Amino acid sequence: MVDAAKNETLAVELRNIDKAFYGVKANSEVDFQLRRGEVHALLGENGAGKSTLCSILAGLYRPDSGEMFFEGEPANFKTPKDALAAGVGMVYQHFRLVANLTVAENLALGHPDVGIRLDQSELHKDAVQLGETYGLGVDPSARIWQLSVGEQQRVEILKLLYRNAKVLILDEPTAVLTPQEAQALFKTMRQMAEEGRSVIFVSHKLHEVKQVSDRVTVLRGGKTVGGVDTADAEPRDLARMMVGRDLELPTRDVGAPPGEAVLSVTDLRVQSDRGLEAVAGMTFDVRAGEVVGISGVSGNGQRELAYGLVGLRNPTSGTVILGGNDVTSASVLQHIKQGIAYVPQSRLGMGLAPGLTTEENLALKAFRDPPYSKSGRLVQSAFRDEGAREVEQYDIRGVRPGLPIRLLSGGNLQKALVAREVELKPIVLIARSPTRGLDVGATEAVRNLILAERERGAGVLLISEDLDELLALSDRLLVIYEGEIVGRMPVEDATAERLGLLMAGQREEASA
Amino acid sequence: MSTRRFIIEPRGLASPWLKLLVPIGSVLAALVVGAIFLALTGENPFSVYSHMVDAAFGTSRSIAETLLTATPLILTGVAAAIAFKMLVWNIGGEGQFIFGAIFAAGIAIWLGDGAPAYIALPLVVIAGGVGGAFWASIAAVPRVYLGTNEIITTLMLNFIALNFMNYLIFGSNSPWRDPEVATFPEGRPIPDATRLPEFFERLDYGIFIAIALAILAWYLLGKTRWGFQVRIVGDSADTARYAGIGVPSKILGVFLLSGAYAGFAGGLFVAGPVGALDPRSLALGLGFTGIIVAALARLNPLAIIPVAVLMGALINAGPSLQSIGVPTATVTMLQGAILIFAVAGEFLIQNRIRRPEKAPKAAPSSGEEASPA
Amino acid sequence: MNDTWVVELAFAAMILGTPLIFATIGEIMTERSGILNLGVQGMMLVGAVSAFWATYNTENLLLGLIAGLLAGAALSVIHAFTSVTLRVNQIVSGLALTIFGTGLASFLGQAGSDPLVGNPSPVVFEPIFTGGIADWPIVGPLLFGHDLMVYVAWAVAGLASYYLFRTKMGLALRAVGEDPASAESAGINVSAVRYAYVMVGGALAGVGGAYYSLKIVPTWQDDPIGEAGWIAIALVILASWRPWRAVFAAYLFGAAERVQFTLQTLGEPWSNIPSTILAMTPFVLAIIAMIVLTSGKRARFLGAPAALGIPYFREQR
Repeated sequence: MVDAAKNETLAVELRNIDKAFYGVKANSEVDFQLRRGEVHALLGENGAGKSTLCSILAGLYRPDSGEMFFEGEPANFKTPKDALAAGVGMVYQHFRLVANLTVAENLALGHPDVGIRLDQSELHKDAVQLGETYGLGVDPSARIWQLSVGEQQRVEILKLLYRNAKVLILDEPTAVLTPQEAQALFKTMRQMAEEGRSVIFVSHKLHEVKQVSDRVTVLRGGKTVGGVDTADAEPRDLARMMVGRDLELPTRDVGAPPGEAVLSVTDLRVQSDRGLEAVAGMTFDVRAGEVVGISGVSGNGQRELAYGLVGLRNPTSGTVILGGNDVTSASVLQHIKQGIAYVPQSRLGMGLAPGLTTEENLALKAFRDPPYSKSGRLVQSAFRDEGAREVEQYDIRGVRPGLPIRLLSGGNLQKALVAREVELKPIVLIARSPTRGLDVGATEAVRNLILAERERGAGVLLISEDLDELLALSDRLLVIYEGEIVGRMPVEDATAERLGLLMAGQREEASA
Repeated sequence: MSTRRFIIEPRGLASPWLKLLVPIGSVLAALVVGAIFLALTGENPFSVYSHMVDAAFGTSRSIAETLLTATPLILTGVAAAIAFKMLVWNIGGEGQFIFGAIFAAGIAIWLGDGAPAYIALPLVVIAGGVGGAFWASIAAVPRVYLGTNEIITTLMLNFIALNFMNYLIFGSNSPWRDPEVATFPEGRPIPDATRLPEFFERLDYGIFIAIALAILAWYLLGKTRWGFQVRIVGDSADTARYAGIGVPSKILGVFLLSGAYAGFAGGLFVAGPVGALDPRSLALGLGFTGIIVAALARLNPLAIIPVAVLMGALINAGPSLQSIGVPTATVTMLQGAILIFAVAGEFLIQNRIRRPEKAPKAAPSSGEEASPA
Repeated sequence: MNDTWVVELAFAAMILGTPLIFATIGEIMTERSGILNLGVQGMMLVGAVSAFWATYNTENLLLGLIAGLLAGAALSVIHAFTSVTLRVNQIVSGLALTIFGTGLASFLGQAGSDPLVGNPSPVVFEPIFTGGIADWPIVGPLLFGHDLMVYVAWAVAGLASYYLFRTKMGLALRAVGEDPASAESAGINVSAVRYAYVMVGGALAGVGGAYYSLKIVPTWQDDPIGEAGWIAIALVILASWRPWRAVFAAYLFGAAERVQFTLQTLGEPWSNIPSTILAMTPFVLAIIAMIVLTSGKRARFLGAPAALGIPYFREQR
């Protein structure tokens, strides 16, 4: 309860926190200490348990076991409302702002101290005052949708300050900010800390952590790996803590040397949903018979890169050449016809039609042509026979006639998805996190399918956050950070430290 | 974690029994509600219901009338079903029916006595479909190209259509109006060559056309390449886009097809029992009743056929109630109650209720990574 | 001065528009919570028959109003249950309640050994002031010559407007209709809010129906309200979901209903405009408004609550 070093009550303390979802442990024996008046960074890869830990602190989840103390007293938050009442609030990556209401209205919403009658002028005054104090200026009468993302984030922080939050948790706040906005945010964070509030700052970017935090806690695989004073922490140590044990390279057939480039990407730029540049000028090739792995923490442009390559989003500039044809602004259908296959990250949301049967899903891209259809008419027997063959060949289990595919287990869903894509015999296969969330058997099956494509002479682009997966399958690795390629290396040269540093934004002196 | 006495969760796959039980249960529950109101006003529900069954099926004439009413219901039911399955909320079947009638009667009057039946009849029926599709397009185009919500627009178009039809007959001297009747405005009878021949009491061949069109809809949606794409869009628009399917054109196509089917219903009704653009005989709410048929048949075009017959029976039993002193509005009440139970019953098909278990569960059937970290 | 056709038309328009005010504002409150209620027509009808029955048997107008209010609210509970708890299709649920309500109202009017049909109400809403201020030119009849309910309608509009935009509860209501997930995060019970305002909508629709059977068409018949419920749904859009605009929109359509009669008294060429074309106007305007108001930048200011018609599943965050 008392911080030995500083001999005063801790703002927050977590002891031995466990939290599991459906049998998978997201947090395991986590200890965490937050001092008053500090900016404390929470560092870790995706899936490390940072968001879960923060959600527990903010009252969104209840821990399965362990204890939580707030300002020295035991804390048992049942809902976020409880946490907020106690003084703990979180700014989520997806803002909880009502777009059509004004800033002032969003501040007042659900606030316990606001009276029945809404005094707009008073609310406005408070908002302006808070904004000025903390460098979070926003126009109180503006509607949320009129604000830039950076300004919206300010409103989220103002909301917490308006409730006099003493502990503020910011989940990857700089992901949506320009560099200048990020600097302004850091100033605000330090100011809040100077007042005696505590800020938890979740990030995967080492330079930011170094710049703004007092202490750092690293999470990996659901456990705390270390808590150090930022001043004492070396980036390479932090990176190693984030990424973990030395990665072993599995033995694999070297195979035939790769052939010509089947996918050439030149200075590609693609916008994000919000209109910012998510892919900021990427140039790379994928050759026939090789697997190129793109590693990086999610949110650095991977999604937009994939969309830009398969036709789901038109790049703003740059070119994409597929098998000799310029497909930069071609439609999705043209991309498919030119020989690109795509295993998306979202299985049931995009890759598969959840209510349709397995055999219908297996024909999702091929149905326009024989044997599936003849002169506009579907050939049911082709669906049945091809479906049965593929189910057998790719070991897709749980399939019954007429059963909607969403009832299959995750592993079988993915096997079906990947099976369909490789059946297209593509020139280029793009796969995003193909073995995420799968059990051992399914993981191996999917990996083998990808390697088989490599054997066949296709070019494979593997976009993933899972370093094990990348190392097991790739011939070459590229590291993506903030929409650019910051590192290139053959897989033999990849080490945990090197990848960790690059993924966290630390550039190398000489890049490949 | 809040403790509740029971948990509601999505059901994996509903058994065929349940899918049959809920519609039947809806009808029975509605009959119970109707019985309560009948009893409250001093009637004997059983005798009222048996009187209704008798009126609907008792004589060969009544069977013919039932099937005659079922004919447009099959088509407006299919119209609603194909739209709703795609999450296109076309509740404008009423107006599309009327415009089908307007176009069909218009073509018939224009053709006059000259054209032989084998040319005239198909043209009349097709005109019905065109009329319905045309009326639907007024809502469909803004929906597809501007994202305008079709619920309000199709709903409003119903009343515009009704008033327009009244205008054609009561408010003007349009070609649809009978020039020979001076006293009270009436619709002009269409030429005999454009009328559907009767073969059983008043029942005409329209019923076969309706059934054929229903089967065609079933075929289009289930067995063609276009239908396959439509089904994918209706299931998950994102997946459709990912698969290279043009989503807006499919939505437009389904919307117009839905309108066309409602229009066919109007066209067949004019070419069949009504024989003219007669507002009193056409403004029967068949478009809205089609929604009830579609909901009860759970949006399946083939199931719509028997359900339409059932609804036709119910409607035809209505007027007979007057002779035993029971309000004809009983039928409308029952229709509304059936629809309420049918839509609420859908909840039971999509979800199941169970008691919570103490121990944390194993990985769910989807096997997906469940941790939100 | 007071019997010029303009004053006469305006006076009638205010009376005919009054039930539309109630129903429209009721539906505005419902839709502001994110629920689409297409059952307004049915709720107005059951309100009308219940109010008539109550007043017919007690000769008391207030009891009639209360009966209408309760009947509308009762029918709307069903819609709240299917839309908020069961989260099934709101469109079909609303339509079903309109069909059921229409049938039920007609049934209750015709049923029994001594049916209500054809009987006049023993008491109707009468103007409050006769003579005196009510005889002043123009302003007299229009502002002071009305019965109680016209003024109650104004009060409801004012109250609703104030509530919606100047109170904490109104803010919560608007938040629920725009973004229920964020509202829930702010600690608001979305389900409770939606239940409450669906019932408010039903109650007001019932009151609107009562005004028809106790003032406008005070002899019970099978079709006392015409298409008022459907017009109310259109008026919600034309009023951009704002209570005071609903008053003006309602009076406009009261005028549209009455103007046919006025045109006849004015003779040619006015009397030649077909009533059917006039009757179309609210619906045509609603469609144009839908298209114009819900696309582009305007939509964010004048458009529908963002979450309208979308069932809210609390687990999804």
